[in-house]
Amino acid sequence: MTTLAVSPLLSESVGDFTKPSIEYFDLSPLLIIIGVALAGVIVEAFVPRRLRYVVQTLVAVVGTIAALVMTVFVALGLEPRGDNAGFGAIAAEGAIAVDGPTVFLWGTILVLTLISVFLFAERHLEGGVTAFAGQAAALPGTEAEREASTKGLEHTEVFPLMMFAVAGMLLFPASNDLITMFVALEILSLPLYLLCGLARRRRLLSQEAALKYFMLGAFSSGFFLYGIALVYGYAGSMNLGDIAEAVSGTIGADPLLLGGIGLLAVGLLFKVGAAPFHAWTPDVYQGAPTAVTAFMAACTKVAAFGALLRLFYVGFGAARWDWTPMIWVVAILTMATGCVLALTQSDIKRMLAYSSIAHAGFILTGFVGLNAVATPGTAELTSLQAVLFYLVTYGFMTIGAFAVVTVVRDSSGEATHLSRWSGLGKESPFVAGVFAFFLLGMAGIPLTSGFTGKWAVFTSAWQGGAWPLVVVAALLSAVAAFFYIRVIVLMYFSDPVGEGPTVVMPSVLTTIVIAVGFAATVALGVVPGPVLDLAAHAGQFVR
Amino acid sequence: MTAVQVVFVLLSLVAVVSALLVVTTPHLVHSALWLVVTLGAIAGVFLVLAAEFVAWVQVLIYVGAVVVLLLFALMLTRAPTGPQPDLTVRRWAPAAFVALLVAVLLGATLVAGFQDVRLDLDQAVVGSAEVTGETVFRRWVLPFEVLSVLLLAALVGAIVLSRLRSEDGDD
Amino acid sequence: MELYAPIIGLGLIAFGFAAFSVVMSAVVGPKRYNRAKLDSYECGIEPTPQALGGGKFPVKYYITAMMFIVFDIEIVFLYPWAVYFDAMGLFGLVEMVLFILTVFVAYAYVWKRGGLEWD
Repeated sequence: MTTLAVSPLLSESVGDFTKPSIEYFDLSPLLIIIGVALAGVIVEAFVPRRLRYVVQTLVAVVGTIAALVMTVFVALGLEPRGDNAGFGAIAAEGAIAVDGPTVFLWGTILVLTLISVFLFAERHLEGGVTAFAGQAAALPGTEAEREASTKGLEHTEVFPLMMFAVAGMLLFPASNDLITMFVALEILSLPLYLLCGLARRRRLLSQEAALKYFMLGAFSSGFFLYGIALVYGYAGSMNLGDIAEAVSGTIGADPLLLGGIGLLAVGLLFKVGAAPFHAWTPDVYQGAPTAVTAFMAACTKVAAFGALLRLFYVGFGAARWDWTPMIWVVAILTMATGCVLALTQSDIKRMLAYSSIAHAGFILTGFVGLNAVATPGTAELTSLQAVLFYLVTYGFMTIGAFAVVTVVRDSSGEATHLSRWSGLGKESPFVAGVFAFFLLGMAGIPLTSGFTGKWAVFTSAWQGGAWPLVVVAALLSAVAAFFYIRVIVLMYFSDPVGEGPTVVMPSVLTTIVIAVGFAATVALGVVPGPVLDLAAHAGQFVR
Repeated sequence: MTAVQVVFVLLSLVAVVSALLVVTTPHLVHSALWLVVTLGAIAGVFLVLAAEFVAWVQVLIYVGAVVVLLLFALMLTRAPTGPQPDLTVRRWAPAAFVALLVAVLLGATLVAGFQDVRLDLDQAVVGSAEVTGETVFRRWVLPFEVLSVLLLAALVGAIVLSRLRSEDGDD
Repeated sequence: MELYAPIIGLGLIAFGFAAFSVVMSAVVGPKRYNRAKLDSYECGIEPTPQALGGGKFPVKYYITAMMFIVFDIEIVFLYPWAVYFDAMGLFGLVEMVLFILTVFVAYAYVWKRGGLEWD
């Protein structure tokens, strides 16, 4: 009989208090974003209504840029860990690891956030108001809603809410213990649930999306929490480094550990939209305002994959042989679900949702790849490097593609039904061309970033010995290419139905988003070297 | 059986029976009130296991706030509430099966994981408020502060979703 | 465990007193049944037969409920903080003020935007 393991921390004598050290400089990007969110709420309280939109947009843009600048400084100041174990340090009493991958992900998330802010702030397409509900509490179809609409009300709270989500996204992949990770997960999720329900058009669909996302998200948080409890019961600590030590000291399978890994995986795989936890994705992506869809499709996935990588590589790295089969199964299921079901979709946003599920599957393929590069400087890619690179390419393509969706409209708002897109190539060759390019990128055609991203994850997986997975992934990529090409064919070789779609000229904001997405997709396709090097330079996670 | 074990078993019985009543009563409001008994009994169980702080959290948050929120939600959406016999009869068999399965699965995991572990109740200081205070304000001071941001986001969201008054002037 | 004995004793006494009061009032109390006695409010206010809006509560109660929850969660943190406060000194004060101020930003917002006005 053993007595209950009391963690070293808890058994310390109560009384002698040493002030916890917080590395403010290392955490500055996160702190800036939290400050921006707080500032946003204060702006809501004290700035008159007509100025709010401008002030909120400015605060969000300036704050994000400031955080980005600080991220660069933090990246430059990262100290090597000596024992070839990457750069950076554990900060905030072990709660956060500011290391190479963290800073890389921070940069990615912040750049994607910056262009998402532009999408959020787009006012031209709805005739002078944002794409968010004028008054969320007004029941759809009532007098109150019409009144809100004629008065030109708009919820500028979306900007602080978005910044709250970004704060969670920055914290999520950086968290070095399970409690911090859970807090980050909640901060990331809660504002997104809300934002999903704030579409100006098709309110009921939007509210349904928000409710579904919330219910299933809360359920998955429950799984995550239970997983934390089991892992804590097993390791006696929430800290990933301590968990790693406990895991590597285990012989044989421990039911607590395996149960904990499984439950934590459910919580995280839900967030990345991997099958069989993907059911929410199409409904939510369809119902949410398209700007929110773009933001969460890109940034949530980046943050959640970052957290997944850290948890599994750092915390459960020694139990690799226990969870690799699980990831194999999930990866194949996810790719198959995404690619096959995308074929049957008739709504462009749903199709892109299934495409994002398929992408999650491809990223998971890279996840089980090479552990570490044997000889640095060769063409070998680690899993981490490949996944980081893929996330960048995926993020820009996705935001770009959804930005194009916002400009193709008819009288009832965005024309998301696929039949409305037929003949777009004749109507507006430029927009159709850009969208076709994004689709080709997602399909992974050479000279786009989608190709280099897929090449990276497949190479890493192949070198890591997961060649059957790569074969399956390549076959399913071919299936996926089919439905992307189908949309291109529809746009160029079909005649417009009825009045046909119209492309509304957006303001400079959305134009910037589309241009940046396009440029990134081209640049990362033609010269992927610099970003790949950056990902390689990020090194490994620190403990 | 020691006195502690007797108290533990009694509290567990109260929790299980009232939990069954939560899911079988046809009155939604009664269901919420039985939940108070369940959660209260679980708070007692925590107390017996020397997890003092968790017990108070259980009382404050679950008995106090969560049930109140549940009742609010009922009043906002389902009132007036009377007995609703269709609440409990539809598809009860698969629901019971799933509940049983989850209970067995989680129970088995816990038994497998902790069967050799014994807690010395007289020595344990794990669950006292002082130890919790120390861990929160030393080790988890950052997540703690970030939590305030989460609460803020939740409150802002609640206001956005429910404030109906149209704004006049430039308030 | 012995530490909790007084608490359990107190609980038992409270329960016993409640049970005693209810039983005794049923046994020895006078019983007069008339219309006024059976009204919802004995003081004479007539309850409205049907609640407004089909019996549903207005949604503004929701904000009240949410604020209550948020306060409640704050208290959960205040409790260990207060117990451990002596050891922390100024640092603890600063941390808690920061925490409470952050949450209070939301109160400033809801107050300024008229969310606390009842009509």
